Amino acid sequence: MKLLTLAFKNLTRHRLRSLLTILGVAAGMFLYTAVQTMQSSLAKATEANATDTTLVVYRENRFCPSTSRLPEHYLATIKKIRGVKEVIPIQIAVNNCGASLDVITFRGVPAETLMSYNPNIEIISGSYKDFTNRSDAALVGKNFAQRRNLSPGDKFEAVGVNVQVAGIIQSDSPQDNNVAYVHLPFLQQASRIGLGVVTQFNVRVQSSDLLKSVAAEIDQTFQADQQPTHTRPEKAFFAETAKQMIELIGFTHWLGLGAVLAVLGLVANAVLLIVRGRVKETAILQTLGFSRQAIGIIVLMEGILLGALGGLSGILGAYLFFHFRAITIGNEGLTLSLAPEPAIIFSGISVAVLLGMLASIYPAWKATSRPLIHSLSS
Amino acid sequence: MAFISIRSLTKSYTKGKTSVTPLENLSLDVPQGEFLALMGPSGSGKTTLLNLIAGIDTPSSGQLEINGRNIADLSQRQLTQWRATHVGYIFQLYHLVPVLSAYENIELPLLLGKLTKAERRMKIQAALDLVDLSDRAHHRPAELSGGQEQRVAIARAIVHHPELLVADEPTGDLDRDSADSILTLLQQLATEHGKTIVMVTHDPKAAQAAHRTLHLEKGQLINNPRQ
Ligand SMILES: Nc1ncnc2c1ncn2[C@@H]1O[C@H](COP(=O)(O)OP(=O)(O)OP(=O)(O)O)[C@@H](O)[C@H]1O
Ligand SMILES: [Mg+2]
Repeated sequence: MKLLTLAFKNLTRHRLRSLLTILGVAAGMFLYTAVQTMQSSLAKATEANATDTTLVVYRENRFCPSTSRLPEHYLATIKKIRGVKEVIPIQIAVNNCGASLDVITFRGVPAETLMSYNPNIEIISGSYKDFTNRSDAALVGKNFAQRRNLSPGDKFEAVGVNVQVAGIIQSDSPQDNNVAYVHLPFLQQASRIGLGVVTQFNVRVQSSDLLKSVAAEIDQTFQADQQPTHTRPEKAFFAETAKQMIELIGFTHWLGLGAVLAVLGLVANAVLLIVRGRVKETAILQTLGFSRQAIGIIVLMEGILLGALGGLSGILGAYLFFHFRAITIGNEGLTLSLAPEPAIIFSGISVAVLLGMLASIYPAWKATSRPLIHSLSS
Repeated sequence: MAFISIRSLTKSYTKGKTSVTPLENLSLDVPQGEFLALMGPSGSGKTTLLNLIAGIDTPSSGQLEINGRNIADLSQRQLTQWRATHVGYIFQLYHLVPVLSAYENIELPLLLGKLTKAERRMKIQAALDLVDLSDRAHHRPAELSGGQEQRVAIARAIVHHPELLVADEPTGDLDRDSADSILTLLQQLATEHGKTIVMVTHDPKAAQAAHRTLHLEKGQLINNPRQ
């Protein structure tokens, strides 16, 4: 039995009190983890990194997919620009342009280009052949399918578009997992936009250092056209278009801070109560030769244990919650799926331990600052 | 030289403008292996003297040598360390940690050192044998009688082999039979194990178990009768 065991046994003295504290810490850390998950999912979607090679060509000064209209024939022109590797025209139909949790996004694409543009798409059930064979077929991203409980063969309707699920797909590009891919001409007709009109082009360039020059050249090409374009790297496009969502998620930052402060206060209060209730016993231990340092360590450990146990349960709860609920936030036809990450779990647990420790520094000092002789005769 | 050698020891407490002096100019020698009883009316300074001898409190003036070391000179930190190795303290109300078993309570003073688990086990077992409680090792204090609790407390006080034991009314809360067995145990610790014991008591029968009894009154030793 060493000091840690002693600290742990001390917590079993007032089981209900310890349990309630742990529960409170768990709730706070659940919230904290949820906020961190949102923040990091957003950061991943908006922060450029060196391996990005995708550009999005959008109608200039437009932000919602229903108002961005570009002629499909731009495709041939864009393809000829130097540095362009692959282009896909996309028609987007969305039920709600505002920030929303239940966003449904159809992406109409030429069936033959989908796989060549994004070879990382993997069919996890159903088949690609069923998709190419039916004009109203859809390849549904796995998060979308999970949310709407869809499997191959199911029919569903949204935004006035009726489709049949041909397959469920997953991809390392998060957008793919949250949308339903349908045939381009089918969507152009079903959404009454008309043939020959698309929302955007996604352009893959040869290497990331070409992003800027290719974007400039595309915009220059169509500058004098009826439909001028605005071309940006995918993540910049996301950051500038999904503004509402970004503001909302930015605000949750404060909730996270609040959760942290609540945990800090809760643990500090619990540990202070512990220390107050044990003045005499602390004096006895000091009489036995326990140094102030050893007493302080025991108190710190109790705080850390409360933080760690509560943190572990709250963080695990949040992980499971996001894992099974697959929450997706959408805005302007762009989607952000909130995926928990191991890194967040680890950092969350460190935060919980740190909070437990911080919260018990003052109580630990309090426990050892009283003159032994006074405590002993109290 | 005596194991405990006290010269002109004074202890006073000041709180604001008032000051109390529970011990004044007290001198006392206790040889090694002696079992000494301290008696006296309430407030006469018995606990104060005991706490000074145990290194829990520090004197205002005078000399307090234990085993050749003037503990009046030690800092708080050094005193703590000194207590951990040289003193065993026995309280009237046992003061065992309620969530720990008898075994774990006895283990407490050993947690401070660098002993391995096996070494600790050996010492704890020996202490348990000495107080005749081997069969209660895994009981919690609430599952023990008062006498048994006090025996666990004694085991905790001796497990690290201190030369000095101090006890503040160790039988004050016990029935006659339990008190007698505690007193026998203390006698045995003094005579067979060479521990120097200073015990405060209100009970004349308890004092009779000691080798010598001293009477304190208003912070002074009033006589020195040999028993
Ligand atoms: N920490 C302290 N601060 C101020 N005064 C104290 C302190 N400790 C003891 N005293 C005073 O010193 C005097 C002696 O106290 P002490 O506890 O030594 O008496 P005692 O002989 O042990 O009495 P009892 O038999 O009741 O335990 C008392 O008047 C007490 O009020
Ligand atoms: Mg007393």
